[in-house]
Amino acid sequence: MLTAVDLTKRYNDVVALNALRLTIAPGEVFCLLGANGAGKTTTINLFLNFIEPTSGSATINGIDVTKAPLETKKYVAYIPETVMLYRNLTGLENLEYFAALAGRPDYTASQLLEFFARVGLPDGAAERRVGTYSKGMRQKVGIAIALAKGAKALLLDEPTSGLDPKASNEFSDLLRQLSADGVAVLMATHDLFRAKQSGTRVGIMKHGRLVAVHGTDEFTHADLERVYLEHMHD
Amino acid sequence: MISRIARKEFLELTRDGRYRILAGVVLVLSLLSLAVGWNNYSSLSKQHETAQAATRTQWLAQDKKNPHSAAHYGMYAFKPKSQLAMVDTGIDPYVGVAVWMEAHKQNDFKFRPAQDRTAVQRFGEMTGAEVLQVLLPLFVVLMTFSAFTAEREQGTLRQLMSLGVSPRMLALGKAAGVALALAIVLVPATVLGVVAFMWTTESGLLAGDAGRVAWMIAVYLVYFATLIAIGLAVSAATRSSRVSLLVLLAFWFANSLLATRAAADLAGALHPTPSAVQFQRALEEDLSDQQAVAQRLEVRRAALFKEHNVDHVDALPIAFSGISLQEGEEHANEVFDEHFGRLFNLYEQQNRVLQAAGMAAPMLAVRSLSMGLAGTDFNQHRDFVAAAENYRRDIQRVLNADIAANQKKGQVYLADRSLWEQVPEFEYTAPPTQWVLGNYITSLIVLIAWFAASAFVLFRSTARLQVD
Repeated sequence: MLTAVDLTKRYNDVVALNALRLTIAPGEVFCLLGANGAGKTTTINLFLNFIEPTSGSATINGIDVTKAPLETKKYVAYIPETVMLYRNLTGLENLEYFAALAGRPDYTASQLLEFFARVGLPDGAAERRVGTYSKGMRQKVGIAIALAKGAKALLLDEPTSGLDPKASNEFSDLLRQLSADGVAVLMATHDLFRAKQSGTRVGIMKHGRLVAVHGTDEFTHADLERVYLEHMHD
Repeated sequence: MISRIARKEFLELTRDGRYRILAGVVLVLSLLSLAVGWNNYSSLSKQHETAQAATRTQWLAQDKKNPHSAAHYGMYAFKPKSQLAMVDTGIDPYVGVAVWMEAHKQNDFKFRPAQDRTAVQRFGEMTGAEVLQVLLPLFVVLMTFSAFTAEREQGTLRQLMSLGVSPRMLALGKAAGVALALAIVLVPATVLGVVAFMWTTESGLLAGDAGRVAWMIAVYLVYFATLIAIGLAVSAATRSSRVSLLVLLAFWFANSLLATRAAADLAGALHPTPSAVQFQRALEEDLSDQQAVAQRLEVRRAALFKEHNVDHVDALPIAFSGISLQEGEEHANEVFDEHFGRLFNLYEQQNRVLQAAGMAAPMLAVRSLSMGLAGTDFNQHRDFVAAAENYRRDIQRVLNADIAANQKKGQVYLADRSLWEQVPEFEYTAPPTQWVLGNYITSLIVLIAWFAASAFVLFRSTARLQVD
């Protein structure tokens, strides 16, 4: 679903991403690990065509993102560290607006409320303006948007950082459900525990390179941490 | 898609307390300016009607007297105000609305409200045009400056662009949203304005003025669309709301406030007009050229002698005093045509400079068109001056011809009401809309060019939209 072939991004002399080769199949949850500046966010921005690759290609559903940016974005949903919403609009109005702009203007209010129910947004919150929402609630709205859009791939940029353990756990549950529905997920994260818990594979990035890829069933949480730190040391 | 974006933009704006206050203020000021304009218009047009009728009655009620005395008795001509003048008073407060027509003289216009004003008042007049050309553009700036920058700063732009929204659709949707928010203010004001028009005319809705009203609405719509496109383009192209606001405020200040002054100064420098004193002195010098008058009279006398085969004025079947008076008029007319013609041509050249300067500031193009359509511009002033002056000359011709025909040597000749009635009533119809548009074709083209260019720049700047 998501494929990177020799994907490279260079800013002047600094290599932000170096020849990334990656394929994420439907149902897979691929967690990108690595220090700040390792190239995780760059990878996601390249898939979203927010930045132009220096060389190589990123494809979504077999389509090059630079050649048909509007077409490829139909298949993905993006959830950043904090999902940004229109503070003067209610949760429902935000969801309706984003769903409509994502090409689904046809949902009724009750259908939209169902998405909120699925992601576990507290009752009554949908009618409140999002200016009052907690971060956990915003992330849930983000997932609801992805659900409403019917996205086949998710691009997540540290979506659980700063969430309390319960909210973070709920988020992981939702990811697992989506992956069970056949959604391909690419998630950049610092949270090794979360990566082990909800990921199917982890990739460790360093200085723009993907230095290691492992299945999460290969190790325990402690093993994963050891492997990660080993890579970080040298 | 566009309407969905527009609705959301509009909803967000209307939930913003700042917008509500601003829109309320703008609406109140618009209505206030309309009320002031309407009040001015209705009281002035009533005064004009009464005065015009009074001047005619006075003329007809003259005692028996020599026609030349009647020529000096004179009468007033009043420039009819178009209904749109209640929106745009144009140059009327500076050039006046009435002229005194008498023998020997092309008089300057009188009753200039500006004469009675202090210097400060000059800048503070609350007219519809002021609201449309200064206040509303500022309102547009405040509604558009953060359209893209705020979304970028909040991070919603990232979210939005990740959905696969075409930036062009986004720009059009935002433009429509702002237009809707503007319409909330403009539509009630326009509707009330049209209703006020209906009230002030006995002949019914917009009699004769409908074309001008439609054109004026169109001109302002294109202008606001241009301003919205400029605001959005700047917002899309700048890094932060603060920079965007600064750029747009600078543009507003230069366009709405500085441009008028600067362009007027430029026009004055390129085509300097003589001072009132200089003009008057040169005019009087030529008028009092006795040699020219004598020469004219000599030619006319010779022609008459030949025609009637006589060699003495007393032998002529007509009174030569009437001929002589008319020749004096003809001489003066030539001098007036030359001097006023030269002066008026300078003003027209200045106006052409102002129109061309619209390329630098679209407000100048709008200002010219607005005044032109309201009938308060220089061109229509000149048209009226010419009509009034022709009428004045007609009066003199009728009276002098009467003297020539009826004055007997050595007798006192007195004419009566039957002669006064031979002088037709003064009637003036404002030129048609096409004539106005013909005068301002440059401004029209400039305005459309600004609109096209701003739309192009908006699409270009959104095509390169940076999400953060």
